[in-house]
Amino acid sequence: MISSHYDVAVIGGGPAGMAAALAAREAGSKVILIEREARLGGVLKQCVHDGFGLLRFGERLTGPEYAYRYETLVRNTDITVATGSFVTRIGQDGGAFTAALVSRDGLRAVTAKSVVLATGCRERTAKQIGIHGTRPAGILTAGTAQYYVNILGKLPGKRCLVLGSGDIGLIMARRLTLEGASVLGVYEAKPTPGGLTRNVAQCLDDYDIPLYTSSTVTRVFGRNRLEAVEVSAVDAAMRPVPGTETVVECDCLLLSVGLIPENELAEKLGVPLGAGGGPVSDHNCMTLADGVFSCGNALHVSDLADYVSESAALAGARAASYRPGKRTLVFLQPDERFQIVSPQAIDGSRLTDDPVFFFRSATEKGRTTVRAELDGKVILEKRYSQLRPPEMERFSLPAGQLALTASSKLTLRMEDAV
Amino acid sequence: MDRVKESVKRLKAAFGDRVALRDHGHYVRLEGSLRVWEDVVRAGSIAAKALKKRKSVVNAIVCEELPAPKPQEPAVRDLVLDNTRPDVLIIGGGVVGCAIARELSRYKLDILLAEKEYDVALHASSRNDGMVHPGIDLRRGSLKHTYNHLGNRMYDDLCRELGVPFNRCGQYLCFPGRRWLPALYGSLVYWAWQGLRGVKVLRKKALRQAEPALDPKLTSALFFPSAGSVCPYGMTIALAENAAENGAKISLNTVVEGMEVSGGVIQSVATNRGTLRPKVVVNAAGVYSDEVAAYANDQFFSIHPRRGTNALLDSKVSDSLTNSIVASYGMSETKTTHSKGGGIVRTAEGNILVGPDAVETPEKEDFSTTRISIENVFAKHRRTVPALSERAVITYFTGVRAPTYEEDFIIQTGISTRNIVHAAGIQSPGLTAAPAIAKEIARLVTSYLREQSGAAVPANESFNPVRKPIVKTAHLPDHEREGLIQKNPDYGVIVCRCEEVSAGEVRDALRRPVPCATADGVKRRVRPGMGRCQGGFCSPLVARIIASETGLPLESVMKSAEGSAVVVGGVKEVLP
Ligand SMILES: Cc1cc2nc3c(=O)[nH]c(=O)nc-3n(C[C@H](O)[C@H](O)[C@H](O)COP(=O)(O)OP(=O)(O)OC[C@H]3O[C@@H](n4cnc5c(N)ncnc54)[C@H](O)[C@@H]3O)c2cc1C
Ligand SMILES: Cc1cc2nc3c(=O)[nH]c(=O)nc-3n(C[C@H](O)[C@H](O)[C@H](O)COP(=O)(O)OP(=O)(O)OC[C@H]3O[C@@H](n4cnc5c(N)ncnc54)[C@H](O)[C@@H]3O)c2cc1C
Repeated sequence: MISSHYDVAVIGGGPAGMAAALAAREAGSKVILIEREARLGGVLKQCVHDGFGLLRFGERLTGPEYAYRYETLVRNTDITVATGSFVTRIGQDGGAFTAALVSRDGLRAVTAKSVVLATGCRERTAKQIGIHGTRPAGILTAGTAQYYVNILGKLPGKRCLVLGSGDIGLIMARRLTLEGASVLGVYEAKPTPGGLTRNVAQCLDDYDIPLYTSSTVTRVFGRNRLEAVEVSAVDAAMRPVPGTETVVECDCLLLSVGLIPENELAEKLGVPLGAGGGPVSDHNCMTLADGVFSCGNALHVSDLADYVSESAALAGARAASYRPGKRTLVFLQPDERFQIVSPQAIDGSRLTDDPVFFFRSATEKGRTTVRAELDGKVILEKRYSQLRPPEMERFSLPAGQLALTASSKLTLRMEDAV
Repeated sequence: MDRVKESVKRLKAAFGDRVALRDHGHYVRLEGSLRVWEDVVRAGSIAAKALKKRKSVVNAIVCEELPAPKPQEPAVRDLVLDNTRPDVLIIGGGVVGCAIARELSRYKLDILLAEKEYDVALHASSRNDGMVHPGIDLRRGSLKHTYNHLGNRMYDDLCRELGVPFNRCGQYLCFPGRRWLPALYGSLVYWAWQGLRGVKVLRKKALRQAEPALDPKLTSALFFPSAGSVCPYGMTIALAENAAENGAKISLNTVVEGMEVSGGVIQSVATNRGTLRPKVVVNAAGVYSDEVAAYANDQFFSIHPRRGTNALLDSKVSDSLTNSIVASYGMSETKTTHSKGGGIVRTAEGNILVGPDAVETPEKEDFSTTRISIENVFAKHRRTVPALSERAVITYFTGVRAPTYEEDFIIQTGISTRNIVHAAGIQSPGLTAAPAIAKEIARLVTSYLREQSGAAVPANESFNPVRKPIVKTAHLPDHEREGLIQKNPDYGVIVCRCEEVSAGEVRDALRRPVPCATADGVKRRVRPGMGRCQGGFCSPLVARIIASETGLPLESVMKSAEGSAVVVGGVKEVLP
């Protein structure tokens, strides 16, 4: 088997992987970017709507445009781009990482001093949320439907119902309407929508597509093709309320019920995963395995590709400058009002710039103050006019005030602001 | 005691005049009408129990609440089989029918297997636990016991010949507390008498070492080394393919709808593809085997369908649950039923199966799942392995068992009709028993044909028991995988990332002796979509490969049966 050596191997060629590879190359490393599909761009290839790039390029771009900008930047460097290449095995051999790739050309081995995992995420399926009944054609995740419509130009159904108000579901409700299907409604088990407020307005309200909150699909019918679904109201614990069932005729059910970071390779490397499904990592995007970095949706599910690029660039740069050595990890201790905070730790030994954190609140909140305290001393107070679980927020801590030792205690609190 | 009088008495006590019993000699027939299905089944069981197998039970009691569902109209009607005269017509492409087809293909015979669905193994044979049972709770002397033991012993050789992965992992039956130990040691004689070899008693330490995830309260166990696991549809497809390679014809989408019988002989068989005139008919129709027997004027038993639901877990959690098959005794309040109690099974592909439950149903093809079944299954088996979590579920499915009221297999030539052989009532452990059942059915078929023609049926000289399976590239050593990709680059294009399936393997699946050019057909043969994302990424890619192999537009690619198109048309087409 041919084997080639690199400083940094980036796995996954979506916006995260491309940004990481570019940053690593800029930092002087010899880089390989490995992508399973025939083209770079990841999931953005199928996101034909606009709204990408406002932060990164100061322009409203579509997903493919945003991806193409990055791809052009990558192609203008000497980064080795291995598309159509699937990483089947990954491991550590002495100090170096080894990966086995399979492609049309055969097998090939790659070694690298550090690895960046940018493998994206996958969608939660019908079975994972306990949809019961028969198993006809016409039940698919919103992302799969997006592929059929935007890449293959085919409609998965004529009378569609969307379960879950995640962003992809909202965007697909609009897309299907524009492409000639009728969308009967979006059903959401939680009392509030799961997607961004702007998507609810632009994708549902503008097209008169009804949104039913606190309700869910409890059963599906149809032998070969989906014929109808049963919807029920749910209580506060999200359990269906008996007696509220109604049957809606439709031939297609789209699911937009959550994204799960894809971390099969991380697990093969023995990287511990956190509650959100991504690897537990420090502010340099390094996981708890030395030399293994994680970024993009594989690290935590982001709702903005621009954020993905930003944090991925950091991962790439840090992977380039990675040298083995002891870390002084101090874990943030957020209170229960945070649904997720990422990264989870600061490495006191490798602190140069202000570390950046992303978080989601557990519930909808009005004016709120986020306060960080280091060993009882307030080092950050940031006000938010409102917080919603679907919108990911960002803050940074002042590096200058972060004199960390192994026994430092760093807490994060949310308080109602007046 | 007069058994018939006894059953009449017991039925009267339970249901008064609403149920009548007619004695037909070798069987009794129950008639009347009852409101709920549970009572219909109960009536059949009461009668069977009182009859003590002297006679069998045909239960024709009508259920008022749930009338029997109408049969599905077949997707096709043509005459491709009209006027054909096969030597043997096998009805049913489950594991039993396919094993029979392969067994009969050892002879120079014109064999036709008719399967009503779009693929083989769509009923019980793809919706079970895949356990090759040791036969723990089978009564000696029953056909279940006999054929389970014979079948179990055939599995290693058969799977080697057919290239089907088989894992003889053994089964642990666990008990709470040391107080069970004397009884367990005492039981070893019983197991030896039952024909089970190598059974062992395990104490706490050895058990913990073998199966660390068991509930700590389970401190003693029996180990049955002859238990194993196999992919049941993989097995069925392999049997069908090998039968086809040896000359048997497998006709899918072919429904047997009736028969013309005179003089105790089936003269012709009506199907949706024309009328056939076989010399002999094999009934391997699963839950419909009683109806097929009725077509042949030979119904002396009834099937009462019994559903069972299983959940399948992500292979990631397998190592933290079990390396083999585990079940426990004495921790559950639920009474054991006629169906094997199930357990936690490590499948031959490395996932974990949990289940099944057992629910009586009048609907022979109700494969739908319910939340309550899944909850019950988990609650039950968490008593064996507490770490079992519904969060690891990637899919679940329901199968329908085909028990008779006697709760035993029927493996015999017809009683009133001479040219039919029944392999009916093949409930659990039918997967295990299938190879042995097939041998016996082949014997019955060939001896009937010999009697008719006066000459022994000649052997098929070119019979080859070895089937070449589809190569799983991800399991090959590097140099072999490399060689394959150099010959055909499609083997290097991964379409399913969860199960690491290449485009080459998907194409292979479409070029087999029993092809099934649907998304689910490909899935059952090479596994794209079987993993944790359940086809989220790969289903459009697989659909495209099917379209390119078959030359059909994407709109004509089906998920499963006719009418299950994966897409309904192009975007912006004017929709009616
Ligand atoms: C269906 C879907 C629709 C979305 N729509 C929007 C949207 O409209 N707007 C928005 O802002 N965000 C959207 N998102 C979120 C969007 O994914 C992120 O903003 C961004 O694309 C994430 O980038 P990424 O690089 O982390 O992941 P991805 O874009 O998913 O890229 C990961 C790449 O890794 C490759 N890969 C994975 N495993 C391997 C392996 N073993 N070997 C080689 N390569 C591998 C994959 O093929 C893929 O190309 C969507 C996400 C999904 C899943
Ligand atoms: C939940 C569950 C778990 C089980 N677990 C195990 C286990 O772990 N181990 C074990 O050994 N056994 C197990 N079993 C039992 C095993 O699955 C069955 O005994 C076995 O699959 C029966 O095979 P078969 O070929 O007789 O029936 P089937 O697989 O049901 O095949 C019958 C076929 O006949 C076809 N057919 C019916 N009527 C017609 C017609 N008129 N014309 C044409 N075709 C027709 C049907 O379409 C069907 O494909 C289990 C069963 C269930 C339901």
